[in-house]
Amino acid sequence: MKIAVLLSAGRHSVSGRPAPVPVELQALRLAVDLAAQCGGQSGGDVTGLHAGPELGPLTDALGHGLAHLIHLRGEGTADPAPALATALAAGGYDLILAGRAGQGGWDAGLLPYTLARALGLPIIADAAGLAPGEAPGTLGVEQALARGARRRLVVRLPALVTVHSAAPAPLPFAFAGMRRGRVETREAPPAPAPAPDVEERAYRPRPKLIAKAATGASALERLRAATEAASGGGRLLVDPAPEEAAREILAHLRALGLPAGR
Amino acid sequence: MSRPRKDPRAARAAHLVAGGARPRFDLAAMPATTGRLRRDPRAEERLALVPGTLRRRLDRAQRVAVVSAAPNALAAPVDAAPRLVVIAQPAYLVAVVPDAPGGRLSAHDRQLFGAARMLADEGGGAVLAFVEQPGEELGQAGADRVLALPVSGYDPEAKALALHAALAALDLRHVLFPESADGGDLARRLAALSGEPFFAGTESLSPKAVTRAARGRRVEQRRIPPRLISLAPDAVAPHAGTLHEALPVEFSFPQPTSGALLSAQFIPADPAKVSLAEADFVVSAGNGVSDLNAFRALAAVLGATPGASRMLCDAGLMPRAAQVGASGTVLDARVYFALGIAGAPQHLQGVAKCEQVIAVNTDLHAAMIERAGLAIVADAQKVMPALLALLQQERAS
Ligand SMILES: Cc1cc2nc3c(=O)[nH]c(=O)nc-3n(C[C@H](O)[C@H](O)[C@H](O)COP(=O)(O)OP(=O)(O)OC[C@H]3O[C@@H](n4cnc5c(N)ncnc54)[C@H](O)[C@@H]3O)c2cc1C
Ligand SMILES: Nc1ncnc2c1ncn2[C@@H]1O[C@H](COP(=O)(O)O)[C@@H](O)[C@H]1O
Repeated sequence: MKIAVLLSAGRHSVSGRPAPVPVELQALRLAVDLAAQCGGQSGGDVTGLHAGPELGPLTDALGHGLAHLIHLRGEGTADPAPALATALAAGGYDLILAGRAGQGGWDAGLLPYTLARALGLPIIADAAGLAPGEAPGTLGVEQALARGARRRLVVRLPALVTVHSAAPAPLPFAFAGMRRGRVETREAPPAPAPAPDVEERAYRPRPKLIAKAATGASALERLRAATEAASGGGRLLVDPAPEEAAREILAHLRALGLPAGR
Repeated sequence: MSRPRKDPRAARAAHLVAGGARPRFDLAAMPATTGRLRRDPRAEERLALVPGTLRRRLDRAQRVAVVSAAPNALAAPVDAAPRLVVIAQPAYLVAVVPDAPGGRLSAHDRQLFGAARMLADEGGGAVLAFVEQPGEELGQAGADRVLALPVSGYDPEAKALALHAALAALDLRHVLFPESADGGDLARRLAALSGEPFFAGTESLSPKAVTRAARGRRVEQRRIPPRLISLAPDAVAPHAGTLHEALPVEFSFPQPTSGALLSAQFIPADPAKVSLAEADFVVSAGNGVSDLNAFRALAAVLGATPGASRMLCDAGLMPRAAQVGASGTVLDARVYFALGIAGAPQHLQGVAKCEQVIAVNTDLHAAMIERAGLAIVADAQKVMPALLALLQQERAS
């Protein structure tokens, strides 16, 4: 199975220095594990792709288990989508993995979708685990949802899958792996820069919405709003028999739609 | 500040009692107040006086309640019957695509409607909701029109194609999505399909500008609201106050085609493994629980994530990761079941976001009992085995 992993130029979340994006290294790990599982059938190989002016710290990805990294060199302001689309179409990959969103660029997570559209591939979002499907040419994807829930999907290959940060941690860094890995540089055709229709300024964290604390209320009222949310129509049972209490609790839980005990 | 000069003759004339041969003045009667209301410090003090104490005590906090009583009394009838707003001829449409898991709007979906109302009310537009199963709560949430999407099961590509057709045919000025797992995915699919400008994870929104974080949360991007917007949670207040008609509308969607997705199966979270901050249902023990084995068994059988108050974590009876409260985990759960917890403010802060609380406590006056939707004054050591026995009996039958 031929797998491509898209690696973007990221910035470290704390120091702000150039660094690989963690979720893309997690994608790389999923790719390496999947290739090892499929290794017997078709000889797995994993290729990394990056479009941008320079690789910088992305060579670290070689130390995290990548054997072959293709660098599509182009201008920094250019849109990476056309260069990546031609390289991916030429490579004939069965599976393309990307991060759910970058960290250091626009961070909108839109690139995998535009690529999937350009290549005519189906796209699956937020994978936390990958496994070869039962039928040949299929892939099992475990999709991460909110509150720890999962969705198990089976897709026909080739496909593009974005990876969620709930996926297993990246493989540990090995210096020898980085020395062994092969970097191939290709010149990307010049692409137009996307029109900058946004205005940028330093980030200012905005206060999140607070439940109901009325602005201008006294401190006492704000504390009340923070601690006593409204729970409509409170029912009070004083000294019921334990069995009756148990029945009441269970009926209440069921009314709230919890499958308690089922 | 300049004050109008007092005219003693006019002030006296205001007390004149009409009728009678001789002019009579009733100086005790208060003339009708004109202009600004005067404070009466003595009356305020009389109201704040706490009766029944030997020493003179003033409860000034009460004053707030007395002053705010008047506007509350005016606001009450408004609450009783929210005004129905009908927008017959909308100038434009603002579409909302809520997640609505299981047909019920989540808190994030309601905030989405709040944002859509803000964009629509600016220029006499209407809010159009795209939902899979139309429910009754949409009018209250702020939807003027409702369109049912012809999608069943998990098929985001078909949903995106249907939305693309609607985007092309109806004049939608904005389409709003929640920045959640499914909503964010759908928004990006539609953005790639239509090539429309897309603003992801909007953190503040007004009719003039939207902002979001970029470059590893170091830069704030700002622009006028584009056509496709996804909204981060807790960024905009939900719509409240007026009722909207939620009129069903018809639209002929194109026939869906089968995609590359071969099967999809939902797997609920394993409550023992999910972290407390993510859990949907939490059972928590406090100092009133001495039989911790029964508690752990109960949490496992109910399929809930176990939590604890600080007293138990300090005593080493529960792991620190299980602590609920200000210095532990602030829950995002829907249902919280508290056993033997007094409900100290530090603990209640951790439960503030929970919709439903069930409490079992021996003390009728515990704060937890006051907070709970179902409060049971009983011994937790007796309720837990009874609940376990009931569940076992149900399973056997
Ligand atoms: C800075 C600071 C931070 C704190 N942060 C936290 C925090 O994050 N989380 C937290 O939980 N606490 C926190 N606390 C501690 C908090 O103030 C309370 O002390 C603590 O929450 C009390 O825990 P409790 O309700 O389990 O115990 P108690 O206050 O001892 O209450 C026990 C309750 O159980 C009832 N009970 C007794 N026997 C039974 C029985 N047989 N059946 C049923 N009910 C029974 C009693 O009526 C009583 O209401 C903090 C305190 C400070 C000073
Ligand atoms: N210049 C790039 N080269 C290769 N892959 C990229 C590039 N930019 C983004 N990607 C991939 O697309 C994902 C989403 O990026 P973004 O749309 O920038 O948030 C990233 O996690 C990467 O996997």
